[in-house]
Amino acid sequence: MTLNTGKFLRVNLSSGETAEECVPEQIAVDFIGGRGYGIRYLYQELAPGVEPLGEQNKLIMLNGPLAGNTAQAVSRWMSITKSPLTGAFARSVCGADFGAWLKFAGYEFIIIEGKAEKPVYVHLTRDGCQILDAGKIWGKDTREAQQWLVQQHGRDTRMACIGPAGERLVKYAAIVSDRRTAGRCGTGAVMGSKNLKAIAITAKRNVQLYDPETYNELAKQQVNLIRNSIGFQHHKEWGTTSTQDLTNNIGIYPVRNFRYGQHIDHEKLTGEEYRKLRTGDMGCYSCAARCGKVHTVTSGVYAGAHSEGPEYESIWAFTGPIESNDITASIAADQLCDDLGMDTISTGSCIGFAYELYEKGLLTKADTDGLELTYGNPAPMVALVKKIGLREGIGDVLAEGSMRAAASIGKGAEAYAIHVKGLELPAYEPRGAKSQGYNYVTANIGASHCYGYAGQDIFGGIEPRPTDRFAEAENADVVIYNQDGTAWKETGIICGFAGNWDWVPDLYGRMLAAARGIARFTDNDYLWQVGDRLFNLERAFNVREGFNRRQDTLPQRLLTEPLHTREAPGEGQIVRHQDDFLDRYYQLRGWTKEGIPTPRKLKELGLGFVLDDIAVISD
Amino acid sequence: MSVEINIPTFLQHLTSDVKVVDVKGRTVGECFADLIKKYPQLKARLYTKRGRLLKSLNVFVNGESVYPETLTKPVNDGDIIQIVYVVIGG
Repeated sequence: MTLNTGKFLRVNLSSGETAEECVPEQIAVDFIGGRGYGIRYLYQELAPGVEPLGEQNKLIMLNGPLAGNTAQAVSRWMSITKSPLTGAFARSVCGADFGAWLKFAGYEFIIIEGKAEKPVYVHLTRDGCQILDAGKIWGKDTREAQQWLVQQHGRDTRMACIGPAGERLVKYAAIVSDRRTAGRCGTGAVMGSKNLKAIAITAKRNVQLYDPETYNELAKQQVNLIRNSIGFQHHKEWGTTSTQDLTNNIGIYPVRNFRYGQHIDHEKLTGEEYRKLRTGDMGCYSCAARCGKVHTVTSGVYAGAHSEGPEYESIWAFTGPIESNDITASIAADQLCDDLGMDTISTGSCIGFAYELYEKGLLTKADTDGLELTYGNPAPMVALVKKIGLREGIGDVLAEGSMRAAASIGKGAEAYAIHVKGLELPAYEPRGAKSQGYNYVTANIGASHCYGYAGQDIFGGIEPRPTDRFAEAENADVVIYNQDGTAWKETGIICGFAGNWDWVPDLYGRMLAAARGIARFTDNDYLWQVGDRLFNLERAFNVREGFNRRQDTLPQRLLTEPLHTREAPGEGQIVRHQDDFLDRYYQLRGWTKEGIPTPRKLKELGLGFVLDDIAVISD
Repeated sequence: MSVEINIPTFLQHLTSDVKVVDVKGRTVGECFADLIKKYPQLKARLYTKRGRLLKSLNVFVNGESVYPETLTKPVNDGDIIQIVYVVIGG
C-alpha cells in the first residue's frame, strides 16, 4: 500500500501557473508534516538574502497530517515564511476551520510564490485552483472580506485573508481566518506584498488516511482521553481568560513597557471580570473545548465592541503596556486588530513603547497627532491601533515594529524597544520566569511565548523536572526540552493547550503512523529527534541569513534594570547571566560558541545538506 | 504519617517562601487541610467558596496525576504531593 506522505499545491502569482506535487517519502519520514514540512521546503526553496516583502519570498500555509477528521485539536494550520519584522524564519499558528478545509481540498500545504500584478484571491476546490480578481474586497476589513467570499462561493467555503494592515504592509500584519489569527512575525504583510487578499476553499469533508480503520479507533481513544483531562475541563470553562490571575500574582505580568511585573489594578482584570462580559464560546474545527471566549461591551464608550477574545495575550497587550484597567477598551482594541488584521502582541507592545517615549519626552503631541499618551488612559491606545493598521500619522512609524520605529525616532529610543530579533515580547516577564525569557532569546522566530513555553517556571509544571524560576544557566536543558517538544508537536500542529491533555506522545505517534503508514513515528525517542532536527534546520536558516550569538539577547532593560513587582514576589530580579546561559545552551545543543550548529550535529540529524550553506567555525 | 507537599512558585508568597511543607493525613484532602492549618491564606487559593478544589489546579502524588480522584486519593508515609496550575499559554 502506498504511503500517505501528502500532496501540496504550488501557486505562482506572477505567472498564474499552478502545479500539484507529492511529498517524497524521505522528507515525510524525516520531517513528519506541519512545521517540519514548512521549514524543509522553505529552506530548500528560498535563496539566502531574499527581501521578505519582495517577489522572491515564499509563503507556505500548512495543515498537519491528522487534520480534518474526528481527532481533537489537530486541525490548526500555520504560515511559514521569511519574516519582514525580523528577517529570520517565521512560523505563525492559527485555529478555526481553514486547516481542515485545506485537507478537504486534498492538500497538506500550499506554496505561494511571486506577486500578482493586481489584487487577487486564490479559490481552491477539489476540482482545481483559480486565481481571481480581488478588486471588490481589497481595502475591506477581514469580516467584510470573508462575508463577501462566502456570498461568492457558498457556505461550504472557508478562508484565510488579510485586512487593511496586510495590504499596507504593516510589519506585524496577521493572516485572519474567521476570527482567529496567524498573528506573529508579519506573515500577513508577506501575503499583502504579493497582492494576495485571501485564499478561499470550497470543499466538503474528504480526508485520505493510510489505515483509516486503525486511525479511527485511535481517534476515539484520543477524544476520550482529552475530554476526561483536567486541562480540557479548565479550558472549556475559561479558555485563557484567567491566566492573568496567576501571572499578576507571581509578578510576571509585564506592565508599563516591562518595568513592573504586576498591574496596579490587577483585581479589575481577573478572569471573573471578563466573564461578566462573556456572550459566547467559539472553537476550532473538531475541538470540543471551544476555548475562544466571546465578549461584548454593552455600555460606556466602547458599547457595541464585540470580539472572540481577548484571550490572555491580548488581555495583556491592551492593559499591561499602558497600565489601563479598562477591560472594555481591551475588547474594542482586540476587535480592531482582528478587523484590520494585526498581531495583538506586537500592536500592544509598540503602543506601550510609544507611551513610554511620550513619558520620557522623546515623543510629544506634535509627533502623536495630538494624542496624549498618558498611562492608565486607554482612549489613545484604541486610536493608535487604528492609526497603525491604516498607517496614519504616528501609526506609520509604529507599523514598522518597535525595533525599526526606535531607529527612525532616534534620541535614544532604542533603549525602550522591547524585542528579541525584532519580535516584540509577549505577556510573560523574563526576569520572573527566566526559562521563559531564555526561550525568547533562543527561539528561531524571536520572542515567542509559544515556541518553548516554560510551564515549569510559570505554573509549576514538573516535566522533565521542576525548576527554580529565577535560575538561569541551570535550566538550559529545560529550555531545550520545551522547544524541541513544541517542535515535534507542531509536526501535527497540535493545539498548544491540547498537547498537554494526556494523549501525547504515545497516542500521537500511533495516530501519525496510521495516517501516514510510517511505523517509525510510534517511537517516542524518534519524535524527540525530529523536534531537534526541525529546530536545528530553522536555526541553520537563520545562520544562513547572518544570525548568530549577537542577536541572541534580551533587551538591555531586562539585563540592567531590576524588576518591580509591587506586592508580588520577585522584586529586584534581573537577568544576570545571559552569557553563561548561552554557553551552556549552545553546548547542550551541539552548537559552536557563536551559536552555529556544528557539522557533527547536523550530520547526526540528517541535515548534511546544510553544511555547504552555513559558515561553521569549528566542530 | 508524614507527607511532603511541594509548594508551587505561585503560592510560595503565602507560605513565607517555604517551598516544602511536611503535613499529616491519609488522603490528599486531609493533607491539604493540615497544610491550611499551617498557612490559612492558602485556603482561598486552593478551594472555591463551596469547598471544592479549584478546577485550575492539578495534583500529582509521586509524579503521577491523581485526577479525577484528587482529594480522596489515599497517600502513604513518605509520599510527595505537588500542586500544578493547569493553564498553559494564552
